[in-house]
Amino acid sequence: MGTVKRRWTAHRARRWLTQALRMLALAAVLVWSGFPILLVVFSSLRPPRDIFGGGGSLLALTTRNYTNLWQRWPDFFGNLANSLVVALCATALTLAVSFMAGYVYSRRDGRLLTASAFYMILVRLLPPIVLTLPLFPAVNWLMLNDTRTVLVVLYCAFFLSLGTWIMKAFIDQLPRELEEAAAIDGAGLWQTLRLIVLPLSYAGLIATSVFIMVFAWNDFLFAFIFTAVDAKTAPLVISEMVGAIDGVDWGILFAAATLQLLPILVFVILVQKYLIAGMTAGTVKG
Amino acid sequence: MKPAARDWALVFPAQALLTVLLFVPSLYVFWLSLTKSTYGQSPVWVGLANYTAVLSDPYFWTATLNTAIVVNAVVFGEFLLALAVAMLFAGWIPWRRVMIAVVLAPYAISEVVAVVIFKYMTEPYAGPVTLALKAIGLPTLDWAVEPSHGLAMVVLLSIWHHLPFTFILLYTALLGIPRDLYEAAQVDGAGAWRKFLHITVPLLVPAMLVALVFRYIFAFRIFSEVWLLTGGGPARTTEVLAVYLYRQAFRYSDFGAAAATGWLMLIASLLMGSWYIWQMYRRMFAHGNR
Repeated sequence: MGTVKRRWTAHRARRWLTQALRMLALAAVLVWSGFPILLVVFSSLRPPRDIFGGGGSLLALTTRNYTNLWQRWPDFFGNLANSLVVALCATALTLAVSFMAGYVYSRRDGRLLTASAFYMILVRLLPPIVLTLPLFPAVNWLMLNDTRTVLVVLYCAFFLSLGTWIMKAFIDQLPRELEEAAAIDGAGLWQTLRLIVLPLSYAGLIATSVFIMVFAWNDFLFAFIFTAVDAKTAPLVISEMVGAIDGVDWGILFAAATLQLLPILVFVILVQKYLIAGMTAGTVKG
Repeated sequence: MKPAARDWALVFPAQALLTVLLFVPSLYVFWLSLTKSTYGQSPVWVGLANYTAVLSDPYFWTATLNTAIVVNAVVFGEFLLALAVAMLFAGWIPWRRVMIAVVLAPYAISEVVAVVIFKYMTEPYAGPVTLALKAIGLPTLDWAVEPSHGLAMVVLLSIWHHLPFTFILLYTALLGIPRDLYEAAQVDGAGAWRKFLHITVPLLVPAMLVALVFRYIFAFRIFSEVWLLTGGGPARTTEVLAVYLYRQAFRYSDFGAAAATGWLMLIASLLMGSWYIWQMYRRMFAHGNR
């Protein structure tokens, strides 16, 4: 031991120490971010009575909680389907609207246009809960209460400002020459958009879709206020499971939570690169 | 190029949706805040009575204080943690893509599931975190009974949930700092602390401010976490402003008071965003356009 120690210079020892501390910090970060999620997924596979530390082998895995969920909350799978439909429709609508607006904000200028872009940023700062007050009676009056339509439209309204901003930032990076060449060849604006700009903007479209997908799939507030029976989404039903009068059945709850979180988690991990680009484009870049 | 009519047509759907669903309703909230109304009754003008009623309601001030505490604790706790993690990730890290994926993972989780996780972990009899705290002799989180513990739990949960956002903003900004600045400082004999203070911090300030402003505005909206965790209880001690507003409107059907609360929240949001708004205004108008 002593000879090994002496061979190290003080400098190398310090470098080794900082490196060790950094890896320790990294491990702590991974546990902080990842452990809670792993805990849910793993617990959903354990026999119901083992979930609360009641011993049992860690390797005794079962799908019992999932079959229990299927039997006790058969509607949950319909609610998951609602979530999916709402998230996909809201994403499609937001992409269409923000792509068109983002293109114009990227390629045209003028005081009135700038003013309208500024207005979009301002409106984005309004707190959603405040707007539920006037929207609630309006939605009732239009008989849109408890429909998936109202969720789709609201999610779109709250995210199209960010979407437009991200699309503008991405379209800003595309060369204008192709569009100009198309214009000389006699292509109309609509054709240029569809055939040239749209295919080139896929990165911006994916980046925008991550934000709206995650929000629409996970939202609690709007689903809580605007849906009651038919249009209920998965997060709302999970919150009802937590508050169930006959006590919480943690096994079923974890199974439902796992089914709700895994698809979106996989999606976010797959498009990680675009999420990072979108976050910076949506906030920092002008 | 100046926009033509067909360009305005492309912008129209976005502007129309925003105006109809966000802008007009926010003006309507203001009008509502000056009237007395409830379900099935037509509103009656009452002037500023709702504002005086709300401002003299002790529950409003509890909610305001709680919101101020939670928002500041979340924003600054999260900021420091994100800065530390970003600094860590700016150096050498094994399997970088995988590591970043793990740090980003909470972003994909819904508020509801996050609450389920935290409730389970701190369950008083068998939650893993409770057991761990007991094992090392620390006090446990009695969030259902003790208001301060309930708020602490909300803060922890929010930091966990939103760390990815602040982390990404700071991390990408850190990667944008030219390496030769650090090398030059190294040559001049600057230590790690001085490099951090004199290179990293000044160059990171714009990203830091954007991260702080955005987090202030979004943390201020906090509703689901509190509603699902404590419901504002026990005895309305852990309410935040959004929960207070929700209760006024949808439990007590007092839309006037809720609207007054809402308009106060709206003004607070705009004030918190004023620096960002001003920056955007300058960038968009002062230099012409690009």
